[in-house]
Amino acid sequence: MRAGLRRFARNRMALAGSVVIFCVFLLTVTAPFLFPQGAFNLAGQPLQPPSLRFPLGTDALGRDVAAGVAEGARTSLLIGISAALSAVLFGAAVGGIAGYYRGPIDLLLMRLTEFFQTIPAFLLAMLLVVILSPSLLSVIIAIAAVSWPGIARLVRGEFVALGGREFILASAGLGASGPRIIFRHLLPNCLSSIIAVGSLLVATAILLETGLAFLGLGDPNIMSWGLQISAGRVSLRSAWWVCTFPGIAILLTVLSINLIGDGLNEALNPRLRKR
Amino acid sequence: MTDIGLSHLSRRALLLASVYAATAPVAEAQTPTPRRGGTMVMLVHPEPSTLATYAVSAGNIPPVTTQIYEGLLTYDWDLKPAPALAKSWEISPDGKTITFRLQEGVTFHNGQPFTSADVQYSFMEIAKKVNPNGPVILAELTSVDTPDPMTAVFNLANPAPYLMVSLSSNNMPIVCKSVFEGTQPLNNPTANRPIGTGPFKFAEWNRGQYIRLDRNDRYWKPGLPMLNRIIARFIPDAATRSAALEAGEAHFAAYSAVNAADIRRLQANPILGSTTDGYGMTAAITALEFNMRRPQLAKKEVRQAIAYAIDRQFLVDNVLYGFAKPATGPLSSVFATSGFYTDQVRRFDVPDRLEIANRLMDEAGFPRGADGKRMSLYLEINSFGEQWLRQGEYIKQALSQIGIDLTLRSEDTATWLRRCYTDYDFDINEPFYSAGADPVVGVHRHYVSSAIRRGTTFVNNKDYRNPELDRLMDAATREPDQARRAALYHEAQKILVEDSPGAWLCEVQYVTIFNKKLHDHTGPLGAYQALDRAWLDR
Repeated sequence: MRAGLRRFARNRMALAGSVVIFCVFLLTVTAPFLFPQGAFNLAGQPLQPPSLRFPLGTDALGRDVAAGVAEGARTSLLIGISAALSAVLFGAAVGGIAGYYRGPIDLLLMRLTEFFQTIPAFLLAMLLVVILSPSLLSVIIAIAAVSWPGIARLVRGEFVALGGREFILASAGLGASGPRIIFRHLLPNCLSSIIAVGSLLVATAILLETGLAFLGLGDPNIMSWGLQISAGRVSLRSAWWVCTFPGIAILLTVLSINLIGDGLNEALNPRLRKR
Repeated sequence: MTDIGLSHLSRRALLLASVYAATAPVAEAQTPTPRRGGTMVMLVHPEPSTLATYAVSAGNIPPVTTQIYEGLLTYDWDLKPAPALAKSWEISPDGKTITFRLQEGVTFHNGQPFTSADVQYSFMEIAKKVNPNGPVILAELTSVDTPDPMTAVFNLANPAPYLMVSLSSNNMPIVCKSVFEGTQPLNNPTANRPIGTGPFKFAEWNRGQYIRLDRNDRYWKPGLPMLNRIIARFIPDAATRSAALEAGEAHFAAYSAVNAADIRRLQANPILGSTTDGYGMTAAITALEFNMRRPQLAKKEVRQAIAYAIDRQFLVDNVLYGFAKPATGPLSSVFATSGFYTDQVRRFDVPDRLEIANRLMDEAGFPRGADGKRMSLYLEINSFGEQWLRQGEYIKQALSQIGIDLTLRSEDTATWLRRCYTDYDFDINEPFYSAGADPVVGVHRHYVSSAIRRGTTFVNNKDYRNPELDRLMDAATREPDQARRAALYHEAQKILVEDSPGAWLCEVQYVTIFNKKLHDHTGPLGAYQALDRAWLDR
């Protein structure tokens, strides 16, 4: 793992991505101090272009776009990370059980996974949010619900491949229990792939969240980049700054997370180690 | 899906545009003389789901159907009755009998002559039974007599002063009896292939693209209509609709066919004109309604404080893009022409409104807590578009100034309607009211206690019960004298604003955008009126 981190640090692009994400984190932490009034506060005259007082301008209701971008960063990261984490936990559990026990359980779980994979992810997420009525929790649940099948398939594949190896057979022969084999031997051996794919999931989750918020399916009480863009879209031709800055924020964040994910994959995946 | 219609139109528009460019200076130099012929394209948004205007009241149907169907009456610029299919009328002194003399020589598009039997059938069998406004507007109509083919006599149980302002082609279209007799009105073959007496005949409906209407060569008004054809085009994307107007591909866009954010830009375009005329019968108001079953909102002071806390001019300027004006009460100021409107009510737009609001909250027994908050409430976001979320976001900020912590809740249309009108599980709702031609049609039902009907949408869901207001509105329903009716409504507005079962925010001003080559397009009823006189410069 430590060697892997060193290899990660040598990857310039991944390092650049990490720096950007660190800045985004810093922004979410400092936002309450930089903008104590919050992102919904009617701070000044509507639709002002970027100025000294409002470095990113104001939107159609006179809200500070910079405050929105800062608070939106918190929303995006919060939803992205918690949705990805839930998806990884649930996906790994389903995939792990299916891959270890095989047989009818495997068959059942994999058909269930395929059922979720055949439904377009975004439509399913929209449907879930509408049914659960838009709130922070329902958005996280919806995104997690459409993101776990990939992880489940990955973990199952790894478990099936590792299942026949001597060290697993040996521990089973020594009388190790199922959970012990899963948690002590199988999971640690596929952790690197899970981390790499899971980090990419964060980026997908952020995109899903912005998409939902853009369509008005986000929590209306929480500022989000998607909400900002959807509110600024109508005035795009007269006030470019309302959409543009949240758009840049989404681009940079998602790109950086992808770079980090790629870096982690290269650093932790033994098959790519020679590159 | 083929795109033949579109490319045909584009080529035509290009041709027209080049001709226009060559003749424009001449046309501006002299008053243009009306010309026959041409195809006019209007934008209708969203596409109607049906053309059965006699049974469904949706705002996107009449721009098409009022070209085809006609009513007994139409209205002049003062919204006073004017002849249409009825050439004259007479109201008995007791207000209980109305005798209509009908136009002679009128035929339906299928060749059948128009007679009083069609009027009788349209009112007694269609409007009273399937028109959603029938139960209100025609409540007092007991029968229609037909002493001869050109005379229809309405017999009323009680005087119904609102009836005479509700007989346009939009409210009460006259259908052909022989087409409907013995069929289910909603499943009638002509529901979506309408047959009327109007200046244009239904030709075809290419779903998702356009409806084509052709000139009725046998129209009863001599020399009309001027146009050969009307195309109602459906373009789902707002930016594309605006672009179609800018490119000269479409000539006419009324109601919300153009996004409010685009209106200023389109107004600056030299080939386009705009007007706010023709919306006098709409009287649209945005409002908040309070659930008075909730202990906090049962207090009048709290409801008034909320009304004081909202800067209506801010909503006009920043949410409605300036196309509105602040509302003073439950009646729109368009009712000033009939004398019903008054602004002599409690005014919430005073300079020290925030101090008053905070004082009222204190008096109501809701002091600020340690965090500055007095109470937490939910606002249900109207699900009919983005404008409502913007309004909700503003109201949340506005109410935070008086210590109310507002949480916005946005749900899909069905859930929202069920929560607010069936389950009554809401604190504050942000509805949109269209008063129609008369307060009886679209105002009473929001406030009278008899309109507390669980499960019926857009009625009194506030649990507002005031016997005095019930009495005033009931009297206004039957009062034939205009001045006495106005006095009753003035009193009702004072009581409603004082009680504030709702907070009335903005009177929405619709804007029609039109191509300057199109003339004589807007009458007193705007887009809900036949374009029989409209003509195109070429």
